Amino acid sequence: MPTQTTQSPGPLATSTRPALSGRGLVKRYGAQHALAGVDIDIQPGEAVAIVGPSGSGKTSLLHVLAGILPADSGEVLLAGTRIDHLGKAKRSELRRTEFGFVFQSGMLVAELSAEENAALPLLLGGVSRGQALADARQWLDRLGLAGKGARRPGELSGGEAQRVAIARALAHQPSVIFADEPTGALDTRTGRDTMNALLGAAAENGAAVVIVTHDRDLAESVPRMVTIRDGRIATGVTGS
Amino acid sequence: MNSFRLALRVLRGDRRTRTSAILTGLGVAVATGLVLLLVSLPFATEARGERSTWQEPSYGSGEDGPATLSLASSEDYTGGDKITRVDVAPLTDPGSIALPPGVGKLPAPGEVLLSPELARLADGMPGSQLGERFGGDVVGTLGEDALKFPGQLVALVGHDADDMPVTAFQQNGFALGGAEQDPLLQLLAGVGVVVLIVPSLVLVASSARLIAARRERRLAALRLAGATPRQVISMVSAETAIAAVGGALLGAAASPLLHKLATFVPWDGGTWQASDFQLPLGVAIPVVLLMPALVLLAAVLGLRRVMWTPLGATGSHERKPLHWWRLLSLPLAGLFFAVVVSTAEDEMGMMLVLLGLALIVASAALVGPWVTSAIGGIFGRIWRRPSVLLAGRRLRDDPKGAYRASAGVVLAVFTGSMALTLMPSFESMAGSSSPFRDSVLYVPTDAARAERIVAETNATLERYGQRERAIGVGEVVLAKGENSGQQALVLDCERAEGLLRLDMAGACAGTPGVYSEYPMELNGVTVSAEWGTQGVPLPADTPVRPFEVTGEDMYSTAIIDPAVLPEGVSPSEVTVAVPTTQANREVVRTALAAAAGGAQIESREMRIWDQQTQLSDLRRVTVIGLVAAAVLSGCSAAIATAGSVMDRRRTFGALIAAGTPVRVLARALRTEAAMPALVATIGAGVVGVLVAIGLYSLVEEESSVVLTPWIAAPVVLGAGVAVLAASVCRPALNRVRAEPLADE
Ligand SMILES: Nc1ncnc2c1ncn2[C@@H]1O[C@H](COP(=O)(O)OP(=O)(O)OP(=O)(O)O)[C@@H](O)[C@H]1O
Ligand SMILES: [Mg+2]
Repeated sequence: MPTQTTQSPGPLATSTRPALSGRGLVKRYGAQHALAGVDIDIQPGEAVAIVGPSGSGKTSLLHVLAGILPADSGEVLLAGTRIDHLGKAKRSELRRTEFGFVFQSGMLVAELSAEENAALPLLLGGVSRGQALADARQWLDRLGLAGKGARRPGELSGGEAQRVAIARALAHQPSVIFADEPTGALDTRTGRDTMNALLGAAAENGAAVVIVTHDRDLAESVPRMVTIRDGRIATGVTGS
Repeated sequence: MNSFRLALRVLRGDRRTRTSAILTGLGVAVATGLVLLLVSLPFATEARGERSTWQEPSYGSGEDGPATLSLASSEDYTGGDKITRVDVAPLTDPGSIALPPGVGKLPAPGEVLLSPELARLADGMPGSQLGERFGGDVVGTLGEDALKFPGQLVALVGHDADDMPVTAFQQNGFALGGAEQDPLLQLLAGVGVVVLIVPSLVLVASSARLIAARRERRLAALRLAGATPRQVISMVSAETAIAAVGGALLGAAASPLLHKLATFVPWDGGTWQASDFQLPLGVAIPVVLLMPALVLLAAVLGLRRVMWTPLGATGSHERKPLHWWRLLSLPLAGLFFAVVVSTAEDEMGMMLVLLGLALIVASAALVGPWVTSAIGGIFGRIWRRPSVLLAGRRLRDDPKGAYRASAGVVLAVFTGSMALTLMPSFESMAGSSSPFRDSVLYVPTDAARAERIVAETNATLERYGQRERAIGVGEVVLAKGENSGQQALVLDCERAEGLLRLDMAGACAGTPGVYSEYPMELNGVTVSAEWGTQGVPLPADTPVRPFEVTGEDMYSTAIIDPAVLPEGVSPSEVTVAVPTTQANREVVRTALAAAAGGAQIESREMRIWDQQTQLSDLRRVTVIGLVAAAVLSGCSAAIATAGSVMDRRRTFGALIAAGTPVRVLARALRTEAAMPALVATIGAGVVGVLVAIGLYSLVEEESSVVLTPWIAAPVVLGAGVAVLAASVCRPALNRVRAEPLADE
């Protein structure tokens, strides 16, 4: 059993099982090791920032943890249960129900309104139209988008669009939210606001958050920071 | 950097660009090949005509010199195949008459030249079946160059000048060349070009869409990096030109193969020689150049958006609702069509009808997107499932794009249902008004010849051991006053019943008289041999007896028994008629043909058979065209579906990464692709039938359109093609699922 290499376990680590764990994760692209044996535990409700130089394997780790990419070896556990060997359909369902995603930008459905975009995971989960839209509207209100629910993504600013994406990631009450460079296309101020909105909303909901970012300043605002270098977790570098 | 080099590098490096280029090339190749074939059709009939003009009388002659040749052309049949029979007699020194290519010599009286196929047939059966019809010794065969198509049955029979049939035409040598293009094929080829070109171009446009998103981003990047509009245009043109020119050349290279295939399709009695489809270079080269030019133009026009707003291309496009006036265009075009159809009389009217037809087709391009957008609007309001919501919004947002994919299917369905409505209706029109029974063979001629033909025919029939006998049926006029009168056939009651399509209703039991379908007053009626000549009064006490017409669309004629024909009236026009049975028809034909010496042998049966052959030619060509159009438009719709997935690859990838089942997206895409196509297909079917009814009324006033269940076939076919093409989204989405978040 590999030991946890980060020094500062999450605040709840002692009391509960991790929400999500990676054990000995290896991901290769040809001869290139994008991940060369990564172990990581994410506690329920914990926010983790993953930082590291470009090409170090941050995105790969996120995708492997979320079951978007299969690992070449190693295990992924969701609340103690292995999920890496599940079939495509099952993994897809897990992503739909247990996880939420915030991407860099442009990943909202252009033809749908902000409200409908946010309601999409609920609709896919079988929630009725009225209920799903009402829930989505609530989330948009909480994220400061009251009155903008009918707008299309093209009619929103970059920061607003990202907040819609956050609402979409949270609407179905997932246990883990994955965000890959959620502020990458935003200016510093908006980026900080968006990050705060994401962290705040996730905390309120008790969802764990895994955020990949280039921006060290932004990462500082996240309780726990994990640094990756050459596909490995760099020891001795910790967040606050 | 040279734009061609850049384009080649992109094509080498990027798989999707390469796929798109290959599809564009294939689309252009297919379009080029088809256009080359269609354009060659009228030329092909012309080439055939050039070889066979000598078989017809040279109607234009008289100005071209003194008559040197007497020629009669007639049609004969053997076992359901048509024989072209040409009877000739020189009016001058035979050696001075120029011979048509493929005709080795001018047959002397009593000599016959047969085409190879006819010679083979004649050798294969008893003379009484076929060989003896030509009444002479076979002295040679006709070459390929003298035949309209390979395997044509032709007999060239020599005569003395005074031994020619009434229909003989005195002319200056054989008619050579000067054939004209078949107007029906010209029309069909024109319709075919439109019906096949549209799906081909949609195919090209769809394959361009496969990479539209990626290309726009690349071009926007180039523009942002400072490339001038001119440079950007030349880069895209180079990329498209490589594909389009390659495709056009491929199409041109493959066109001999297509032409070879076309030679197997019978038209007007037979198949084709391979060389018939050769196009003059002056026509072929512009066609080959035109296709890539059109594609290039479309590509450059499509660039405008990127050109003027380098960043706009990557942003979202505005959605302007389509105006409802689009909806008016169809009824307006329909109204125009209805008006011109009901008033059309002359050539100008026909042009207007064609214009109306074009307007209806064009209005589909206006109405289609509006209807698509309306469907989207409805879906966007009533949705319960996310797939319906996604499809509805997409249709609402880009109705033109969504409709474009089905434009080819729509056009094919429209044309198909129009053709299928017209055809059975034309078929029901086919017929003949001849009063003779279907099985009677008859030869219209004059009194002197008739007597000889009857005698010779009966002698031959006797020799063949047949019981049937030929008789001459004279024609007279029963005139009343200056202007009114009726034709009457000179026949006794029993024979009339045997030869004609009528029921004498017991009239034959009485004394001979005049027989008529309608009540007739004989007071003041005179009998004469021809219209306008002085008649001999008919005794007013001649009995008039009614008969019933049993055949369809028979022209009205009276019958006068020879026994009551007044003295001094001898008919000048006489028709020699022989009844036949199924068993002895060919033999009787042989006896009659040998005696008739080139006069046309008529029979209602063959007249109708001829019409049916023409219709089945038409049907065959239509079916081939429709199948080609369906395949083409199906391909283009399929590529369009794949393109619409690729267009939104990033969005779909993100949705799939977030756990959206491919099934839901596939359902949305299928709905989005198939829905407008289905509605448009049904609409096109209905409009097609209505237009056909309109067109039909041009040709025939009374008889009504025959509606068969087959009319639904194009709609079903089109809908099937649309649904099938829409199902392509599944494999396309699976590709996305393999790497959902890979950047393009
Ligand atoms: N699809 C792929 N094919 C080949 N190599 C890949 C692929 N995706 C990633 N890699 C390689 O794997 C390594 C890790 O990539 P990854 O995207 O995880 O880095 P990252 O830390 O997210 O970088 P960045 O900060 O630039 O986004 C890199 O060296 C990259 O080149
Ligand atoms: Mg990354």
